[in-house]
Amino acid sequence: MSAGDSSRELAASFEDVNAAAFVARLRAGGEDGRRAFETLVRATHGRLSAFVRRHLGDADDAQEVVQEVFLAVHKGLPGFQGNSKLTTWMYSLAHFKVCDVIAARTRSRAVFQDARTETGEIPDALQAAIVEPGVQSTDWDSPPDAVFVRRRVEGLMARAVALLKPPGCDVYRLRDVEGLSGEEVAEMLGLSHAAVRVQLHRARMEIVAWVRARLGESPAGKGVTA
Amino acid sequence: MNRLMSPVFYPCAKIPDFTYDYLENRLPVTTLVRFRAHLSLCKGCAEFVRLYRLAADPVRFLEETPVPPDLIERTLEFVENNGKR
Repeated sequence: MSAGDSSRELAASFEDVNAAAFVARLRAGGEDGRRAFETLVRATHGRLSAFVRRHLGDADDAQEVVQEVFLAVHKGLPGFQGNSKLTTWMYSLAHFKVCDVIAARTRSRAVFQDARTETGEIPDALQAAIVEPGVQSTDWDSPPDAVFVRRRVEGLMARAVALLKPPGCDVYRLRDVEGLSGEEVAEMLGLSHAAVRVQLHRARMEIVAWVRARLGESPAGKGVTA
Repeated sequence: MNRLMSPVFYPCAKIPDFTYDYLENRLPVTTLVRFRAHLSLCKGCAEFVRLYRLAADPVRFLEETPVPPDLIERTLEFVENNGKR
């Protein structure tokens, strides 16, 4: 199965769990509610995990955050008014928890940087934590050179995404990576629809500019007629 | 005279401004014609749009991390143990 097929199936699952009848079962609790919750976890766990992991990089941290998100969902369901999609609410919870972890890491890094100035060395554990996302793709029908070039471009793209900074990175990950609608992203991040559009365009432009710089190409808009 | 310098064609600097709407199929017809005419003559901008299109479709290049099967069971167990409401 291709990544696209898999994503489409996941998207379909997401639509199912957003149905009003399903949400009503969840809110009602009891044995049926428990079964509905299990269905919710099975339908959304993979995608939420990927979302959190892309933000945090570390699988263990991501799993911890995802567990906390599902716990928060379980506890918060009685108060869930259904003003937004269930999955939008879940992504909001995940986003807040990811921000908490990143803020905690930033505080730790400040402490670490203080320590580094004293010792002048970076611990091995920290070096190992600097992960570059890889690319897994095979295309046996393409000529080897084309496959090589495509893999290089895709690898650079993945690295460029990892380097995006907020707020563009949040908008890009929710809109392009997770496939949420512009309206959902605007609601989650408290932005106008126009701001989502601007941030998304900027993020894509940053990715392209970063990749082109590494490919030795001139930036967009600096061509023949610039 | 370079055909790209003709007033009929957009300058390269304008191409990024239109690319978002181009991918969303929201360019007015006249703009779309001029945009495509530019791309047909300008290899650099055509390459830019190709990369922009790829950036907008990260499923094609981001690794999808498989979730170990026991993680779902562990999550359900975690919520069961901690989530009495």
